[in-house]
Amino acid sequence: MSIEQKLQTAEQLLAPWNKETIRPEENRLDVVIQPEALHEAVSVLHEAKWGYLSAITGMDMGVEAGQLEALYHFCNGPAITSLRVRMPRNEAVVSSIADIIPPATFFEREIKEMFGIEVNGLAVTDHLFLPEDWPIGVYPQRADFTNEQAKAMEESHVDQMPEPGRVGENTFVVPIGPQHPALKEPGHFSFTVDGEIVTAAKMRLGYAHRGIEKAAESRSWVENLYLFERVCGICSHTHAMAFSTGVEQLAKVEVPMRAQAIRELVAGLERVHSHLLWLGVAAHEAGFDTLFMYSWRDRETVMDLLEQITGNRVNYSANLLGGVKCDIGEEQSKAIKEGLSYLETRIRHYLEVVTTDAMFLNRTRGIGTITAPEAERFGLLGPTARASGVMRDVRVEAPYGAYIRYPVSLVTETNGDLEARCVVRLKELLVSCFAMRSILDNMPDGPLTARMPRKIPAGETVARIEAPRGELFYFIKSNGGEIPARVHVRTPSLCNWVSVLEKAVGRQLADVPMLIAGMDPCFSCNDRVVTVVDSATQENWSWKRLREYGIEYYSR
Amino acid sequence: MNNKPSLWKQTMNKVRTWARMNSIGAIHFNSGSCNGCDIEILATLTPRYDVERFGIKLHGSPRHADVLLVTGPVTRQARERLIRTYEQMPEPKFVISVGACSISGGVFDGCYNVGGSVDEVIPVDVFVPGCPPRPEAIIDGIIQLLGELQGGVPRPVAKPKIVEEVSS
Repeated sequence: MSIEQKLQTAEQLLAPWNKETIRPEENRLDVVIQPEALHEAVSVLHEAKWGYLSAITGMDMGVEAGQLEALYHFCNGPAITSLRVRMPRNEAVVSSIADIIPPATFFEREIKEMFGIEVNGLAVTDHLFLPEDWPIGVYPQRADFTNEQAKAMEESHVDQMPEPGRVGENTFVVPIGPQHPALKEPGHFSFTVDGEIVTAAKMRLGYAHRGIEKAAESRSWVENLYLFERVCGICSHTHAMAFSTGVEQLAKVEVPMRAQAIRELVAGLERVHSHLLWLGVAAHEAGFDTLFMYSWRDRETVMDLLEQITGNRVNYSANLLGGVKCDIGEEQSKAIKEGLSYLETRIRHYLEVVTTDAMFLNRTRGIGTITAPEAERFGLLGPTARASGVMRDVRVEAPYGAYIRYPVSLVTETNGDLEARCVVRLKELLVSCFAMRSILDNMPDGPLTARMPRKIPAGETVARIEAPRGELFYFIKSNGGEIPARVHVRTPSLCNWVSVLEKAVGRQLADVPMLIAGMDPCFSCNDRVVTVVDSATQENWSWKRLREYGIEYYSR
Repeated sequence: MNNKPSLWKQTMNKVRTWARMNSIGAIHFNSGSCNGCDIEILATLTPRYDVERFGIKLHGSPRHADVLLVTGPVTRQARERLIRTYEQMPEPKFVISVGACSISGGVFDGCYNVGGSVDEVIPVDVFVPGCPPRPEAIIDGIIQLLGELQGGVPRPVAKPKIVEEVSS
């Protein structure tokens, strides 16, 4: 089905509630609907299996306009249908669609917190990103928000994290994070456990919430390129690439082919660095430090190549608006090819390790299995989804930039367990290496940059890029000025969290680090001792009693 | 009154410093960083840079650590946790602030959820600039701290806390 046919189908499906149809771009359809009609419209799209909900963007049209908007973006291959809900600023209410699409919970919590759009029927009302002492009624993404408003309650800072302790008969809450030995994003989890078995899982984000989307609205387009590069240091290139692709679409600037090829090449190297990093951390979580050290040693090969091309190891700023900053010459081409040959042999070796090492398999095989329908329901993205057999990869579904000329093939596995996620990622690297070789062998000639205007024409655009962790979604709006009016970023991890929270329940606590690592943000749990109080006798248990209970528990 | 510590105390301090010098326990706290510095810190632990040759090992718990490596601007949500982590470390403790964000807020300066630099929250001994700093730079920061501990050349930022411990 062509893009046009897909969009027509969507338009027909949505016809009963359609108030206005807008075609902002060739591949996009905007349908304005009433807030009351949202639930029904979404269920019709969902039942017709028209794509998947990729993101919900909130927008404040300004104090004078007195209007808030929520955009529900559904992606079906390259075609995007956005349901545009317009609400008055002072009483913005929509109904929750989480009963139809479970992962929408996170998006809904985000628009509620950031824009003050009330979501009826939202099960979880805790803060998602903002701190607990955030002033009530202050929404940071609204147009009239100032930093002073946020500082109002700073004096009364409270850390309302649950303390470890008893919640019921023989159940305890084990808090994990935000500080933990394994690095990376600080996140907080509380797992309720009965003995070793997890019975409930909760998550708190926001330790790394800096307010980048708001900051973007006060910086120029060029400054923003470097700001968005620092959303994430691991996939910095894809963030900058998504942002510049979006801006180029708005400015209708054609990026030279050579620049696109170099972008794909750097993105490929970044994928290798990211996946090898992940493999190491996952192995570390599983207690397999040897693999951790080896994969990080080999990762240095990629880091050297990235440094050679761009001049920096991390946050390499290869992108410019309208092109790339660095060229690839003969010498570099040769170095990259040599590096790739070495990496390919190593990746094949790791593929053998993760599928044959008995110790590692004990921690991965059959654990955290997500079936294909479940993965669809959770709205998983990237390698996490592909490990369950879901064909979801923006590079294949909706090729962009150089991926049209240098296509990559889709790698999927069917088992959906942690082992499959290792295998998918490693096989993906082999595919990436192959694509990089074909770029190097057929490097197009031409300039590296196209001229970009300082002011970007008014309009809205969507840029979707396949980051190492899954689909990265950028929504960019310009009012025709030197700074963007709104940039919305939906990172793949936000969609994948559901897999951890759902799959941890019923498993042993010891599997939790691997489950978390399996979707790629990696945490590890601190060893903690909690005071065990026998609910019947109210007395503290001694180590001896605790040990006996353990033996008793496992011999059941 | 003679304030000079006894010979026994002096000797014991020398032994303590020697032992500490060769077995630094580090802990890493991300207070809202973009991960760039974090992966470079991890890279220092892995075979290419191998910071373990200086006896430095990353620990899981703040209670086992001597050095706190902080990355990122301090977000409001992470602030209290940073203080708590710092407080849980046993004395003497040292802080290395890694990356431009942790020194000044970096590109995130002025964002509504960012409190500012790390040294506004906890005392910092060594600053390692860069976005992100190279692993070599991080190692250099640690070595500067070690030199400090050894009673080497005094550095402008670091305060030799071991001396304070001796007099008390």
